[in-house]
Amino acid sequence: MISEKFLEHEIANLNVHLTQKKISLKEAMLSEKPHVQTKGGGKHFFKRDELDFLKEIVSDEDLDKLLLPITIMMQLKLGRGSARISGIIEANVIGKILGKPFSEGDILYRPEVVTIRAKLPTTTEYLFLP
Amino acid sequence: MAKIITVAPTRMELIKLRKRVALAQKGHDLLREKMDALILEFFNILNKINAHRSKSVEQLMNAHKALSKCLAVVGTVETIQAMRESKRESKVDVSTRFIMGVQVPIAEAKIERGILERGYSFYNTASAIDRATKEFELALLSLSELAELEAAAYELAHELDKTKRRVNALEFIIIPTIRKNLKFIVMRLDEMERENFTRLKRIKAILEERK
Repeated sequence: MISEKFLEHEIANLNVHLTQKKISLKEAMLSEKPHVQTKGGGKHFFKRDELDFLKEIVSDEDLDKLLLPITIMMQLKLGRGSARISGIIEANVIGKILGKPFSEGDILYRPEVVTIRAKLPTTTEYLFLP
Repeated sequence: MAKIITVAPTRMELIKLRKRVALAQKGHDLLREKMDALILEFFNILNKINAHRSKSVEQLMNAHKALSKCLAVVGTVETIQAMRESKRESKVDVSTRFIMGVQVPIAEAKIERGILERGYSFYNTASAIDRATKEFELALLSLSELAELEAAAYELAHELDKTKRRVNALEFIIIPTIRKNLKFIVMRLDEMERENFTRLKRIKAILEERK
């Protein structure tokens, strides 16, 4: 018989890659080696060319409001492969990348998640929610 | 061969198993979601690897063409002399990123160098050597990017395999076993209730006969 501890451990470890504290795009641009600390204790580095790409699509006043990494919330209740984005500015950035109007509460579908992850592999992160 | 069910058919066990099946189902759904995301990432990286591999091969071909031209124009001895004098170290910054808990490397190479940084004398060497060197630097840059992607794909494939095993174990072994046990307990409890009901009816009938 399986132990509940194993399953609880698995569920708890699912989001261990999330960052302890996000940093703004401005902070990341100014940093020599832009990175954040993960909950698991590791360091997650951002690629400089992704930061440059984000700087191009974000207005100057939003540079210190856009927090990185952008969280893609995979919610089971939304259906398989569907996700939401947390943050208004973050949602606007995603909208600009997808080339369609997109706000915070809107649902991202699997092909869109693929597009986002292909363009921003280090500046986005997954969050798994039941 | 049919397996013998060893759970105690009690209400406490029933409650415990119901909680366990809910937890297992939640774990299964979340792990399956993670597996889907890992598959997306894996194929994303595979596509990038295919594109990068052909780019690297093309760049290496260009580099070798430039080297052949250099050998023909400058001469073998001079080319080998320049090669011996050149600096061989290149700076590659290796950092890490996380894809759903999987640590993958990021390699940022600074391989392109100026003429003065290459080490060989630019006074008595021809421009063909510079061109060949530049082409090889570009090839090295492309190869370092390819190495980063291949390492990421390897790590992701390993994690994908692990997650798939867990999802399959939950889906085909653990959850069905708990459900089977649950069904057994429910049936056994129903049976006991029916036995009890019949027993009471029988006792009532005996008592009425005695009156």
